[in-house]
Amino acid sequence: MSPLLSGALQGYIAVALLLFIIGLATVLLRRTLLMQFMGVELMLNAANVALLAFARWRGGDVEATIFYLMIIAVAACEAAVGLALVIGLHRMRGTTDADRTATLKQ
Amino acid sequence: MFAVFALITLLGAVLMLLQKNVIQAGLCLALSFIGVAGLFVLLGNPVAGALQIIVYAGAILILVLFVIMLLNHHEEEAAEKARPVQRWASVALTALLGAGAIALVLSSPGLKALNAGATAAVPMTLERVGETLFSDHLLAVEAIGLMLLAAMVAAVTLVKKEL
Repeated sequence: MSPLLSGALQGYIAVALLLFIIGLATVLLRRTLLMQFMGVELMLNAANVALLAFARWRGGDVEATIFYLMIIAVAACEAAVGLALVIGLHRMRGTTDADRTATLKQ
Repeated sequence: MFAVFALITLLGAVLMLLQKNVIQAGLCLALSFIGVAGLFVLLGNPVAGALQIIVYAGAILILVLFVIMLLNHHEEEAAEKARPVQRWASVALTALLGAGAIALVLSSPGLKALNAGATAAVPMTLERVGETLFSDHLLAVEAIGLMLLAAMVAAVTLVKKEL
């Protein structure tokens, strides 16, 4: 059986990399800021998968779970501030399209 | 079992990328997050799996869906102008990166050695996490709490009407 399907370390790393690339594709291909935001969340999650997979193959390292907790807290901060910025932008310009908000001044 | 959860994760992510409706894309992202939680449980880390569902699928994603419904922007707006070169370049870049990633993972001798030399993993318990968190990383916990508070204050300030 291929190591990608049997639950070996390679399979987890492959899933993490593909998840990151799908998140990157979402940021590159979609124009709605909220969709791009979801892509960024997906990339953060991919990093978490790789981190905890390596921790498992180090014998269940507890430090990785602490690191994961910190990443989750940073992601929550990022979500709150990012969504507040999107709401503020929508209030000022009436759009959430990244192409239409390419200028800094009104 | 690993293949099932990996499939759920990647399928949810691809569906999110292709979905036209932003709310449906958010729900597909929830599917992907639940798949990731399943992967964490398979890695012998149920603490991270529970946190993934509670914080990501439960809090962050619901916040995103809330904002989508608040702004009433369910569909992507029509493009201001077509940018075919950028779009095709993005598709080519991501396809290249994906193929390269799989090839690299399959051919990596380091990953193979790490996989072969695996020690039996100690299952993660909340007790172990809590002990390490509040003995070795107490300062980090305080700092992260302060940062969460600052982020919440910043978010409230940013959405205030008279800025």
